[in-house]
Amino acid sequence: MGQKQTEREINELTLFEGLQREDLVYIYRGVFSQVITDSIIALTENNLDSVGESSKLKKRVFSIMVECLQNITRHQFIDGRENVTADQSGLFVVCNKDKAYQMTSGNVVNNDAIPHLKKLLDKVNSLDKDALKDYYKQVLEDGSISSKGGAGLGLIEMARKSGNKLFYTFEELDEEISYFYMNTSISQQLEEAPIDFIDIQDVVSLHKFILQKNIMLIFNGGLNQKSLIDILSLINEQAFGKLERKKKMYNVMVEMLQNVVKHGAKYDESRPGGSPVLFYIGQNGEEFSLNAGNYIENTCIEKVTSKIDLLNSLDNNELDDFYMKSLLDFDVDNSKEAGLGLVDLRMKSGHKITYELTPVNDTISFILMQVTI
Amino acid sequence: METLHIEATEETPEIILDAENNKFSISGKSLPEDSIAFYEPVFEWLKKFSEEAENDIDFEFSMEYFNTSSAKQIAKVFLLLEKLSDKVFVQIIWKYKKSDPDMMASGMRFSKLLSLEFELREEDC
Repeated sequence: MGQKQTEREINELTLFEGLQREDLVYIYRGVFSQVITDSIIALTENNLDSVGESSKLKKRVFSIMVECLQNITRHQFIDGRENVTADQSGLFVVCNKDKAYQMTSGNVVNNDAIPHLKKLLDKVNSLDKDALKDYYKQVLEDGSISSKGGAGLGLIEMARKSGNKLFYTFEELDEEISYFYMNTSISQQLEEAPIDFIDIQDVVSLHKFILQKNIMLIFNGGLNQKSLIDILSLINEQAFGKLERKKKMYNVMVEMLQNVVKHGAKYDESRPGGSPVLFYIGQNGEEFSLNAGNYIENTCIEKVTSKIDLLNSLDNNELDDFYMKSLLDFDVDNSKEAGLGLVDLRMKSGHKITYELTPVNDTISFILMQVTI
Repeated sequence: METLHIEATEETPEIILDAENNKFSISGKSLPEDSIAFYEPVFEWLKKFSEEAENDIDFEFSMEYFNTSSAKQIAKVFLLLEKLSDKVFVQIIWKYKKSDPDMMASGMRFSKLLSLEFELREEDC
């Protein structure tokens, strides 16, 4: 960390700090399947519920999200290219920023399809509410449906339902294909005037950062048991190589995330929802890293770090003994703590647990914990 | 004694405690938010059962996954069964999938802790 990473200098902490100003950020990069889109929808639903959004707003967010996700699913592969490289895989970002739920989809497009797509988007963006409605009817009656099953109806629908423009940009990947980013936003106050401008470059920078770090998933939001289960079902869909490793990743994720559900502190206690967490999975060659960042009360730091330091100093046999002792230590046995989580992480990973602490204020700090599998 | 049957969910295992048909099993995933609350009825049932048990029992564990807070509760179940084994013969069958060495290791660990008849049974995927 510390070195210049992108034009906008993103690193884990600035990412978390930036994300903290928003109630929910969810980023997924990879292959989009039915199960994955379902769990993305479930996660968002759970988050909107926990912060108490109205059912009208929820409905609107969902319908747009479904359109976004379908767009990605449908267009995530380029005809004639068998392998999807990391920088070509689909992207979905949802965040709550400037009093709006902003959704950005990313997928590859053929360069020769861009002029038509631009024309369509500009046309949609130039129309007001009533004109959009007429245009929708016109396209519907026209019946010209593209080979991938889209007629631009999805785009018109998104513009109509969101009441906002579709902000977009293209980044060229090679002479044949480009990456297409498109943003749709919904104001939390539904009847508010349309949003003038969304800086889609924010998402482009973020995308570069997560590609560079090989991150496939970032979840920043109130975490509770329900969202944990949704994240897990998403992980179960991923190809992490050997089954054994997939199981380990699952196990480690449960412990790391339940740790945050139970012990994570809040920056602002008055905020609804669960404890904020920044969770991401990165890949480094053959190894995967699971990272969880959360706020921790300063008074708890010593207890956690001294335990991690101790565990890091133990060899396999000593760890086994430590585990057994903790397993039968029923003095530490309540709904918050069994005293086994960290030792389990250390054993499953076979590596040292690394952590980084950054003070935030007199009461809390930010702790980023990393477990390698 | 009344049978205790808890259906499996995405985060909790299926539990069958059926004295009449001599069927005792815990199977599936266990990662509830509050594992103490989840296993409480199991402890209650086993304590009551211990008072009236007369026949030998086979107790099956077929865990796909359990988190660490569940591990502690499962240890408590074992300790209750160990106590019960003073009275009747208790056979533990710890099933694990061939592809799951972690689950085998967990079984071994529990078996070392206990003075119980403990069978580790490998099953094909």
